[in-house]
Amino acid sequence: MTNQEVLTHTFSNGLTLAGAELPAVRTASFRLLMPTGAAGDPSGKEGLLNLLTELCFRSAGYHMEYRVSEEMLCFSETVMSDNLENALDLAADIVLRPALNPKELESERSQALQYLAQLEDDPEDNVFVHLDRAYFTNEYGRPQRGTEESLQSLTADDMAEAHKTRFKPAGAILSVAGRFDWERLKDAVEARFGSWEGSPPPLPKPERRADGCYVHIEQDTEQTHICVAYAAEPPGHPNYYASYIATDVLSSWGGRLQSEIREKRGLAYTVDAGNCSIKGCGYVIAYAATTSDRAQETLDTLIGELKRLAEGVTEEELERSRASILPNIVMNGESTSARAAAAASDLFYLGRVRSLEEIRKQYEAVNPASIAAHLREFPPENFTVAAIGPRRLEMPA
Amino acid sequence: MKFLHTKLANGLEIVGELNESALSMACCYLVKTGACDETPEISGVSHFLEHMVFKGTGRRSAEDINFEFNELGGRKSAGASLENTTYEGRVLPECQTRLIDLLTDMMRPALRNEDFDIEKKVILEEIAKGKDDPFHFAYWTAQELFANGHPLGNRILGTTESISALERRQMISYFERQYSPGNMTVALTGAFDWDAAVRQIDELTRDWEPFDVERETPKIEFGSGIKVVQNEQFSGEYLAWRWPGFVLNDERRYAADILADVLTSSAGSCLYWDLMEPGIANAALMQHSAEDQYGAFEAYVICSPERAGEVVQKVQDILKDVVENGVSEDDIESVKQEYVLGIALSCETPMGRLEALATRWTYLGEYIDADESIDRILAVTKEDVEALLTEDLFAKGALAAVGPLETLDV
Repeated sequence: MTNQEVLTHTFSNGLTLAGAELPAVRTASFRLLMPTGAAGDPSGKEGLLNLLTELCFRSAGYHMEYRVSEEMLCFSETVMSDNLENALDLAADIVLRPALNPKELESERSQALQYLAQLEDDPEDNVFVHLDRAYFTNEYGRPQRGTEESLQSLTADDMAEAHKTRFKPAGAILSVAGRFDWERLKDAVEARFGSWEGSPPPLPKPERRADGCYVHIEQDTEQTHICVAYAAEPPGHPNYYASYIATDVLSSWGGRLQSEIREKRGLAYTVDAGNCSIKGCGYVIAYAATTSDRAQETLDTLIGELKRLAEGVTEEELERSRASILPNIVMNGESTSARAAAAASDLFYLGRVRSLEEIRKQYEAVNPASIAAHLREFPPENFTVAAIGPRRLEMPA
Repeated sequence: MKFLHTKLANGLEIVGELNESALSMACCYLVKTGACDETPEISGVSHFLEHMVFKGTGRRSAEDINFEFNELGGRKSAGASLENTTYEGRVLPECQTRLIDLLTDMMRPALRNEDFDIEKKVILEEIAKGKDDPFHFAYWTAQELFANGHPLGNRILGTTESISALERRQMISYFERQYSPGNMTVALTGAFDWDAAVRQIDELTRDWEPFDVERETPKIEFGSGIKVVQNEQFSGEYLAWRWPGFVLNDERRYAADILADVLTSSAGSCLYWDLMEPGIANAALMQHSAEDQYGAFEAYVICSPERAGEVVQKVQDILKDVVENGVSEDDIESVKQEYVLGIALSCETPMGRLEALATRWTYLGEYIDADESIDRILAVTKEDVEALLTEDLFAKGALAAVGPLETLDV
C-alpha cells in the first residue's frame, strides 16, 4: 500500500496530531479526541459531559458529530479539503471558547431529559445501559447520559467548571485523513490549538465484577433483548489479536452464533458479538433479540456457544477468520473518516499508529496455541447478562 | 471515471463505472421488484425472498454462501424496498471473479422447503423487532395513510399474518414472475476488469430464460389527514408526515431535495431552531425522497406527548412561513455545499457509487458522473426552489402519531 503512511507530531502542550494523506480524494476528515469521559463526571452529576458538549455546539450555532464514552470525548467532521482550515477554526471555537450561555442550559436540559424518556422506548439501546450498570462496579457503570435527578442538579457553574478543567490538550489527539499538505496542516493546528494549555484530571480505573450475574428489566416488549459481557484482552495485550479472532469465530457471517441461533433455529433476526475496550480493560459483548416465548432457548443457545468456545476453534475457522479480517481492513481504509478514526484509536490505546503491515503480521501470527493461551487467560465464563422483556429468564447452569 | 454498458442476449443489462485507482471493486444485482409489486396475500414476499437468496442455490448451501462472503472479506448486503431488491458485495480487485460467480449464482436460489420454514421464523422476529421500534411504527402508519390503498403503502416486511400464511409455492411463483434477466441490472464500480466481468456474467446466465415482466403502476390518489395510534408501550410521541413530492424523473426533484434540507439542516433550519433549540422536541427532520412512482416530502418529530399538539401547529406554521416568504440564498448555498460533499464522499468508495449507478440506469436509462451530479445540484437556484412554493405544496399532508396519546388536538 502506498498511501498507508501516517505522520505524527506532538505539540509542546501535549496535543498529538496524526495525518494520513490520501491525495486521490477531494475531502478531508478529522477527529479530535480528548481523554476525558463520562467516567470523570462527579458523583451525582452523571450526564454532565454529554450535556456540556451539546451546550458547546449550541453556543457556537454549529453542530458536528460527536461521541462521549466513559473515557473519551470525540468530535468528528468531514469536509471538502478546501474547507479543512475553516472546519478547524470552528472546532477550536467550540472546544476552546464556547459561550456556554446559562440561558441555553434549560433547553439543553429539557432535551437531555426527553432523551432519557425515549431511551425507555428503545430496549435495543437501553439493554446496553443496564449491562454496563451490572458489569462495572464503579464510575464506569453509571448511565453516561445521566438520570433525571442528576440532570436536574446540573448548574451553569458545573458546566463552566467542567469545561475549564476537563477540555485540555495533554493527551488529546487530532487525527486527519484525506487531501491536505502535512506541513501546512501542522502550522494550521499550531495556530489554532498552540496556545491551549493544561492537563485534564486523570480518570478513575474501571472496576468490574468477576462473578457474573443476571439482571432483568421487566417491560412489555415484543422481543426480549439479551446482552452478555465477559472479560477479554484489551488492545495492547500480546494476545489481543487471538482474542479478536476468537470473537470473530462467534460473530462473523456464517460464524457460530449466526449459524446456531439464526440459521439452524430461526431464533433471532439480530445476533452479534464484538470485542470492546476501555484502556487496560477488554471485554466481549454479545447480543440477541427474540420474541419472548423463545427467549429462554435463545439465552441457552447463546451461553452454550460462548462456553463451547472454551474448547477452542478449528483450523478451518481460524483460517477463515484470518482471511476475512485483512481485506476488510484494507477496504475500510478507503473512507477518510474511517482512517481518521482508526489513527485516533491507535494513538489513544497504543500510543502509536500501527501500519497495515504490522496488523497483517499480527493476525497471521495467530495460531491454535495463541488462541488456547487466550482462552486460558480469559475463558468465556462468569457472564454478566442483562435482559429487557416481559418475563425473567433462567440463567443456564 | 469511465462509464461502460452492455446488454446481454437474455436482456440482462450490465453497467460499470471504472475507477482504476480504487482499492476495491463492488458489484450488485438490482432486481426491479419490491413490495409495491405484491398483492395482500403475498405481502412481504420480496423481502422474504431476499433472505432466501442467501439460503442456498443448486451448487451452494447457506453455509457455503456465508463462508464465501466472509472469506472474500466482502461486506455483503442486500435489501428489499418498495420498488427494488438489491444484492451487493465488495471485494479486493483480485477477488472479482469469485464475487461475480457468487452473486450471479445466488440469483437462481434453490428455495428449499426446510430453509423456507426456518427463515420464516427469522422474518417473524424481524417484524417483532419493528413492533418494538416506535419510529418504524410511525413511518409505516404515515406511509399507509399517504398511499391511500395504493401498493406504495405495502409493508416491506409484510405482517405477522401474511408471513405466517405464506407458502413456498407462492414465493416460487413470485420469483418466476419477477426475476427475469430483463428485469435486472448488474452494476460494477471501482477497480474491476470489464471484459472479464461481461464474459463471465454472459457465460453464467446464458441459460436464464427471459420473459416479460409488467409492473402495474396504478394512479396514486394521495391520502391526507391524521391517524393516531395509541400505544402505551412508548413514552414519547412519534410523529411522521408525508406530503406529495416529485418523482425521480422530474427535474424539480433537485429543488425539492434542497428545500427539504433547508428546512432540516442545522445551519438555517426552521425545524431545528423552532423545535429542537427551545427543547420542544428531541428530534426533528425533513427530507424529500424521489422514487420512480412517487415522490414525497417526509418529516419526523419525536416529542413528549404533552407537547405534540404544539409541535404539529409549529410544523404547520413553519411550512406556511416558507411558502409565503421563501428561502434565503445563504441557506440554499450551504445545503448545496453539503450535497457536493456527500457526492465527493460517495466517490471515495466503490460501494458508495453502486446504488446510484444501478438505480439511475434502471429507471432513467442514463449515467451521470460525479461532476455532472455536482453540476446539477449547483445549478439549482433560489428561483427554482421558490417555484415549488405554491399554496398547494404542503396543503394535503398525511400525519401519523404513535405513542401514549389517544387523540391529537390540533
